[in-house]
Amino acid sequence: MSFVFAAEGDFDPQHEFLLEEWIPIHIGPLDMSVNKAVVYLWVGGLATIFLGIWLMRFGLSLKPDRRQTAGEAIYELVQSQIAESSLPSKALRLWFPYVASLFLFIWVVNIVGFLPLPISNDTYEVFGVDLPTFGIYAATANLSVTLALALITFAATHVEGIRYNGVRRYLKSWIPEGVPGPLLALIVPLEIISQFMRLISLSVRLFANMLAGHMLILVMLGLIFIFSSWFLIPISVVAGTVIYLFEVGIVVTIQAFVFALLSAIYIGAAIEPEH
Amino acid sequence: MELLLAQTTDAGLADLGKAIAFGVGVGLGAVGAGIGLGTIFGSMIQAVARQPELRGELTGIQWLGFALVEAVVFYALLGALLAFVLV
Repeated sequence: MSFVFAAEGDFDPQHEFLLEEWIPIHIGPLDMSVNKAVVYLWVGGLATIFLGIWLMRFGLSLKPDRRQTAGEAIYELVQSQIAESSLPSKALRLWFPYVASLFLFIWVVNIVGFLPLPISNDTYEVFGVDLPTFGIYAATANLSVTLALALITFAATHVEGIRYNGVRRYLKSWIPEGVPGPLLALIVPLEIISQFMRLISLSVRLFANMLAGHMLILVMLGLIFIFSSWFLIPISVVAGTVIYLFEVGIVVTIQAFVFALLSAIYIGAAIEPEH
Repeated sequence: MELLLAQTTDAGLADLGKAIAFGVGVGLGAVGAGIGLGTIFGSMIQAVARQPELRGELTGIQWLGFALVEAVVFYALLGALLAFVLV
């Protein structure tokens, strides 16, 4: 994006996606350093745990208050829309918690990505003290994070497929029935490739959605600095706000929903291939 | 447009070409996804108009389709970004 932001000097909005090592940890070739994305993941994980405990763990009664109603609405959404429609009933008890926590975790991390938090590379000075500037950054706008989540689903799919069906029957379920011999040579490689394409599509969908959302807000506000014009400020700010509201209101929830739903569908289809 | 005038060198022209390719690539991707999204929501409206009681069941399918189609734009965006950075 260097071309887009070539015109302005000091202000580099694309630094939002720059990951500096804050606490360098290198184990052999592995780079386990703590950077902005890691801190955002910690915040997201803690917020998810807190949300789950606060919503559902204490003070439950037969006459639900607003807090309990919200918790039950989330539970109901995951149960009826995601789990029951795609997981077979024999695997529901085992995999409902995974799917539900996946939905809640991705949703919280996405939401945290749109809250201005003082976690940033840049600092500003107040009374001689350097404070980090407020900025927005989503941990899910990072391919490593979404790929790790997709890999868990990928591994679970094949482990469960083999556990419920045995290796032979599971691999056989990849081969469509009633296909003549020569065509099989074409279809079987395609089926195997499509298993790995799932991994790519699952991770890239979430990653690119969050990246594009943040990028759009950045570009809208960056236009002011590129053209150095006062007249652009109202247009840019309104357009940025509209995109922000669209992202927070719709995209954040839908992406979490779709990630959890597709995970449930893949795992369910592996457990019961003909289902 | 100082921005455009600054791009009259050879390297500048290459940058300009890349920028145009980026825009056209992502734009064409958006056209396809736009048509797809229109079809999905249009079908949803028709379905709910005929059988309003199925709305709850259809909503999940609708959002699944929405996300699957919308992701196509982002594949285009990612491909264009890769081409922009690598070429």
